[in-house]
Amino acid sequence: MTVSTSTSNKTQSYGVQSTGPANIVEIFKFMRLTIIWLSIIFGAVWGACWLFGVVLPACVEGFGLPAEISQTIRYFVPLVAIMVFIPINAMFMVLFERRALALFTVRKGPNRVGPDGLLQTAADAVKLLLKEDITPRGADAFMFTLAPIIFFAPSIFGCIPLLAAATGDHRLFSIANLPTGIFYVLAASSIPVVALVMAGWASNNKYSLVGGLRAAAQAISYEIPLVLSLVTICLLAGSLDVVEIAQQQVGGFLHWNILGAGKLLAVSQASPITFVTAPLLAICCILLFWLYMTGACAEINRIPFDLPEAESELVSGYNTEYSGIKFAIFFLAEFTNLFVVSAIATVMFLGGGESPIPGFLDTGFFVSVMGTLNSLLQPVPALQWLLNSLVDPATLSCVFWAVTKIYLIVFFAILIRGTLPRFRIDQLMDFSWKRLIPLVLILFLAVAYLRELV
Amino acid sequence: MSETPASPSPANPEKAAPPTELPVGPYGQFLSEHGIPSKRLPDSTGVETIEVEPAQLEVTLKRLRNSEEIALDYLVAVSGVDNTDTFDSVYHLWSYSDPNKELVVKVRIPKASVAAEQLPEVPSVTPFWSAANWHERESYDLVGIRYVGHPYLRRILNPWDWEGYPLRRDYKQPVDSLNDKNPHSFR
Amino acid sequence: MAVNVGNDQLKTDEMIINMGPQHPATHGVLRLLLTLDGEMVRNVEPVIGHLHRAQEWQGQNRTWFQYQALIDRVDYLSGMFTSWALARAAEHIEGIKISPRAEYLRVMVSEMNRITSHLLWLGTYLIDLGAMFGFPFYPFREREKLLDLLEAVAGQRMMFNYIRIGGVQCNPPLGWFDKLKRFTEEFPDRVDEYEAIVTENPIFLKRTKGIGRLSKSVAMDYGVTGPTLRASGVNLDLRRTKPYSVYDQLKFEVPVLEGDGDTWARYTCRIREMRESNKIIKQCIEKIPGGTTEEIRKLGDEANKDENLKLMAKKQNSGLRVKAGEGFAAVESPRGTLGCYIISNGSDKAYRFKWRNPSFSNLSVLPELLVGHPIADIMAIFGSIDVILPDVDR
Repeated sequence: MTVSTSTSNKTQSYGVQSTGPANIVEIFKFMRLTIIWLSIIFGAVWGACWLFGVVLPACVEGFGLPAEISQTIRYFVPLVAIMVFIPINAMFMVLFERRALALFTVRKGPNRVGPDGLLQTAADAVKLLLKEDITPRGADAFMFTLAPIIFFAPSIFGCIPLLAAATGDHRLFSIANLPTGIFYVLAASSIPVVALVMAGWASNNKYSLVGGLRAAAQAISYEIPLVLSLVTICLLAGSLDVVEIAQQQVGGFLHWNILGAGKLLAVSQASPITFVTAPLLAICCILLFWLYMTGACAEINRIPFDLPEAESELVSGYNTEYSGIKFAIFFLAEFTNLFVVSAIATVMFLGGGESPIPGFLDTGFFVSVMGTLNSLLQPVPALQWLLNSLVDPATLSCVFWAVTKIYLIVFFAILIRGTLPRFRIDQLMDFSWKRLIPLVLILFLAVAYLRELV
Repeated sequence: MSETPASPSPANPEKAAPPTELPVGPYGQFLSEHGIPSKRLPDSTGVETIEVEPAQLEVTLKRLRNSEEIALDYLVAVSGVDNTDTFDSVYHLWSYSDPNKELVVKVRIPKASVAAEQLPEVPSVTPFWSAANWHERESYDLVGIRYVGHPYLRRILNPWDWEGYPLRRDYKQPVDSLNDKNPHSFR
Repeated sequence: MAVNVGNDQLKTDEMIINMGPQHPATHGVLRLLLTLDGEMVRNVEPVIGHLHRAQEWQGQNRTWFQYQALIDRVDYLSGMFTSWALARAAEHIEGIKISPRAEYLRVMVSEMNRITSHLLWLGTYLIDLGAMFGFPFYPFREREKLLDLLEAVAGQRMMFNYIRIGGVQCNPPLGWFDKLKRFTEEFPDRVDEYEAIVTENPIFLKRTKGIGRLSKSVAMDYGVTGPTLRASGVNLDLRRTKPYSVYDQLKFEVPVLEGDGDTWARYTCRIREMRESNKIIKQCIEKIPGGTTEEIRKLGDEANKDENLKLMAKKQNSGLRVKAGEGFAAVESPRGTLGCYIISNGSDKAYRFKWRNPSFSNLSVLPELLVGHPIADIMAIFGSIDVILPDVDR
């Protein structure tokens, strides 16, 4: 072949393209998507709560029915909030995770369904719900159906006490508060592992069985450091009540439990020992936070602890045989669990709904904004009534910060997922029993002493 | 294959070599020193090629592999060939230590000596050389040479219940997969 | 399950699991018959052939010209090497000499192909280790760039059919050399980037160090080749030990690691090989006779007459014949020694093809590596020997 004929005059569009900071555009799109979705979620939840907490009782009383009925309707508000919140939130979190992972890996992520991929997970959910519900031959049909329900239920009723903490003990939600709130949350969060074993066993599949057994082993091992780290924080706070724990941390990030619950501020010349003990306590608490996050990642089976569903080993672990709506429930519950553990971390370590810096976007700021809006709406009393019945500035500030912190932790968990490979099962067990549990026991003792010495 | 072959040879061995006796090459010389008879065949493009009797195969390969001076310890491939009048089992031997050492060993079973419904039999080298394991299975699968003494002689590329040996000259496809009129067609 | 009271051990039964052929991590369609004791592997039987496309039969029933286009499919991640092995074997029988420019082009495209293959291995191997979403995508970024360049020269991203019996198909298009040069300059930084994320990662080290040891003697006994063998400390790289083409004129190192090759050694070996391949491409750009395509264009008709710059020494049409004779030639593919044994009787079709595929031999050592490891390590080990199933099954 001659040279002149062999050089095809192709267009010059092939080859090395420059890799610049083009990701900034993607980061911007990601932020936009997050803000849009969060407004959708919290608009919907807020609206539903308003409907059940304000409008319906007002109507009921307007018809002259007894006050007990309107009060009963108000009691339903936490439940309604959660029922509205969980499905939309899980949809958003899946999209959030996919887009965030795409960001980390120089891809674009889902960007076709709806404007810039906003509706991708909604479409996925519809597809999953419309799929045929298959029960494999040889499976125990009753257990097979029960497993996703048992897996999902605790994530609904388990997170109810946290609502009270996240809304700053709003009067509509204070019914959800329990004096032993964190105890209740932990008790509820240990139920799903039963469902995983059930799912694995009932599927009549060896991969599922191994996955279910792995889930049991892993959950039992990691529950100990998880619970002990929270118990230590309860010891430090002197309470099991999540609302109380959250309210103790008011006053900026130095008061948060992650930095020793304000003990750093108690350093004084009077007792020089506090110069040592207060930083030590803060370090202990940071370690406890890390332990909690590790245990939580393992509890909810996320990379690097996703052994029960290790794709490259066990196909998909306990949910190999699940499809359609049952799989959707598993999926929903997994992401809800991620949200719940992040919410626990926020309430227990990061000051719940408090602004990290006093004066920065805190309750006072929201109150002043409300005041301005009120004066603007002076001429229209109907709108003013609507605004005042709809928005409580203290709750708004509380929810704003709680949600911000929770999603930052979720983002952090996604970052971990995008960075680490998976443990092996025996290394996982070693890590828990030989490293984490001794460490958390030492920290428990250390905190018990240090809190007296500061 | 090296650019500088071990022994110079004509570019076209088939044409250059009449069917008379060929001079014994260095490897053939080595083998006969150790009491193993071998027959020189036309070179395989610059590489000495010898034929040994099936019974001598194991001794030959062991000797070639283990001796210090020859050390042909790299069994590149075992190929089964359905030649015009023989079934060949071809062993390409290289050396890990010396890149210029190469040898092709052939075992030829005349087709006339193979009874109908029987497979040609060649002793297996797998018991002492694991590299041959899958290659012999493949050769059994595709050409139909039975390697006597192979620990697990079973079809490897084709399904376990496949009939016939596809790389034989007289092989007929059981299903003409491209024929529309055939009810078993894949189309 | 029966509890043995006298000896306080729980008696358990073995479980047989069919891993594959439909399994997310078996790189296609490998089936492993595993006998498990709890999570420990007691016995493995690889069952292959699910992708058998009768490549050898095809070769014997297609003309040479047809088969050239088909052979890239054997190892779809490194098609250049299968083409090259076929071309070298046929050229050996024919006794053709290839012009230096064609040889340099062959070396360049196949080293590019080697990098793409190793990059894909890196990504998928990390997926095997459970890093599902993070860094597996980074290697693909660079791989895309190389595939774009290969597409520009060969017209296809994976089934190149660029290296032909007698030379190469054509000169690269205009601007190709500059783009390749730019790539070679930025590529070492990219490899540093992968290493920064992966090599020191404690979980990665825990999963790979000391796992799946393959001793020198076992590797040699099974005919294992390629990076898998070099990680076990055997210096066998045909580019260096049996230099073919123009490799003897190029400066590069062959990474050979000491000690029993574990999965980490295999990883290191491949990472280093990518850097060496990059060096080779760099040298080729400088040394290639005739220089870039622009310079060839300037020469005009003189280039057609110059023997050094001729790309094809054989007419490429359906009348392509190879002389009668038999020959064996091998190239060093990303997975090891890729050999082609041809018996030709001078007609338009070959009399017998035999492919010596590196994956085929490398996979046969798998049972030795897996027995005694937990199932979590199966994919860590299987991934580390870098097997391409179409290459095994042909």
